[in-house]
Amino acid sequence: MPLLDLKGIVKDYELGKTVVHAVRGLDLNIDRGEIVAIMGPSGSGKSTLMHLLGALDTPSAGTASLEGHNLHELSENELVTLRGKKVGFVFQTFNLIQSLTAQKNVELPMIFQGVRKSARAERARALLEKVGLGERMKHRPNELSGGERQRVAIARALANDPEILLADEPTGNLDSETGATILELLKKLSIDEGKTMILITHDPDAAAIAHRIVRLRDGRVVQEVRNA
Amino acid sequence: MLREFFRLAGQNVLHRKLRSILAVLGVLIGIMAVVILISFGLSLKGLMTGEVAKVFGVDTFMVMDQDVMSGKHSGGMKEFGLNLETLKGVDGVKTVAAVRQRTAFVEGGTNGEGNVQQGFMPVMGLSPELLTDFAAFTGDLVFEEGGRQITGTDVDAAVLRRELADRLGAKLGDTILIAGEKSNEITATVIGILAASDEKQAEQGFASSMSSSSSDTIYVPYATMDLLWPEGNDFLVTVVRILPGYDVDDVADRAEVALKAEGSRVSAITSSDITSVIDQMMSYINIFLAGLAGISLLVGGVGVMNTMFTSVLERTKDIGVMKAVGAKNRHVLAIFLIESGLIGFLGGLIGTALGLGITAAACWGINTFAGLPAGASFPFVASPTLILATLFGAFALGAVSGLWPARRGARMPVVDALRYE
Repeated sequence: MPLLDLKGIVKDYELGKTVVHAVRGLDLNIDRGEIVAIMGPSGSGKSTLMHLLGALDTPSAGTASLEGHNLHELSENELVTLRGKKVGFVFQTFNLIQSLTAQKNVELPMIFQGVRKSARAERARALLEKVGLGERMKHRPNELSGGERQRVAIARALANDPEILLADEPTGNLDSETGATILELLKKLSIDEGKTMILITHDPDAAAIAHRIVRLRDGRVVQEVRNA
Repeated sequence: MLREFFRLAGQNVLHRKLRSILAVLGVLIGIMAVVILISFGLSLKGLMTGEVAKVFGVDTFMVMDQDVMSGKHSGGMKEFGLNLETLKGVDGVKTVAAVRQRTAFVEGGTNGEGNVQQGFMPVMGLSPELLTDFAAFTGDLVFEEGGRQITGTDVDAAVLRRELADRLGAKLGDTILIAGEKSNEITATVIGILAASDEKQAEQGFASSMSSSSSDTIYVPYATMDLLWPEGNDFLVTVVRILPGYDVDDVADRAEVALKAEGSRVSAITSSDITSVIDQMMSYINIFLAGLAGISLLVGGVGVMNTMFTSVLERTKDIGVMKAVGAKNRHVLAIFLIESGLIGFLGGLIGTALGLGITAAACWGINTFAGLPAGASFPFVASPTLILATLFGAFALGAVSGLWPARRGARMPVVDALRYE
């Protein structure tokens, strides 16, 4: 059974008075441990697909299942719990909480899962050391560089030991050198920790670390390529 | 988890210091107003009950016309009839002192042009027991040099106020003519003149303040009243002290029953009766004050609401992130509610402290500079109930004001919140 299984997915949403057909009948399977890059031009439905893959949203039609749970059948709270446990997000704009230190940002997903304080702090410290920020745990996001912020975000994504790392343009706001180190880190972590990783990206360098590249256009899969 | 939410909310409050301070200020002013108004009310009540207790103690009650206490009679004191012997005979009664008042024709000395000064004046007879056993009723009267208070053995003696002495052209040691019923009249020697220089002290005497035109009142010995108006059952007030070991309310009830059985239209009033009247009066004042304070609280609450709306809007993206990493709607709701509650609580804490401080300073100022009657004090009352209620109320005010904005934040769809720029 694939970890993620999308069949005949349609996602429409209203933008003002017009209905946008963001995804129009999409089939996609992602297996455990895979690194998949999803590429495509703007408006191809990448972001919408990311929302569906990350259980942030439910499809208008079709079935999306994560580890056999049909997202359609879950209540909003069940969806949140599933997402909190199974998916770790890395965003283009880092999306750290500015008022919290690096350590607290990493602890945040564990807080909502009710992890005990000491266990939480210990795991946050271990993760920040793993991403190379052992010395900067007490810094707030505005005291960190872009690359450091993205490292914090990666540590946060791993906090609840999720099955899936979902990275949306993780290098989009970074210079190429920093971007390259972040990609290295993501790849290393996903392999070391045995995570399934989905990269939503424009960047061919980012796509290069993937086992498989899925190209989207107009809300449909137009090409699937396996990297050697 | 709740503790962590408090920490998260606290961090948000601290992160936006200026805005938090302004919202706190709004609540603070409201809470401060509430604390000052209520504490001041409590102080006022303390002053009044303190004065009542000083006059009454736990062993004293008064007998007055029944209309005076029931509020049917609005003109202050009113004469009434009773049999003093019946009152003295009630079980538990130790001493009875009475005050009688009548209007008499009074003739004094002559003025500079040789005209005799005369007129109708209230004459008050104070029974010897009042002067010996109930000093608190007359207060610490201050006499002009050479003057003295009436004693039990005086008969043809009178005490005047300075203004009246001037008007009657009477000096200490002069005589004045007081004419009572029929052809009863006496020539009384002025044995004391109450100093006008210390008006407040002179006003303090309970007996003196009973008359509607107290500065006109001529005080004479109780026995003298009997010479002028022999009937002797027209009392303004009687004061009763009970024997040790008796309950003042019980004795007062028995006295009232005994007197009413004889047809006297009287009520026996104890300190608890007066205290309850004061309480009732204060409760009306407090309702009024609470209304005023409520308006300022409302303004503070609107301030918190405004701050929270801004805060929710500004942190839309944070809400999206929190939801993406596993926060449920109720988690987001709780964090924002705690945040607005903290703003309220902070305002409550500082407002209560400032309010109590200002009230304490005001009480000190009143006691030091306002020239209260000797022995009276305007007590500073820091009510623990008030403090706890305002602190809890301030937190609740903040939380309730934050409810609407917090719900809006909590219900925001995660995808929209994440997209928000």
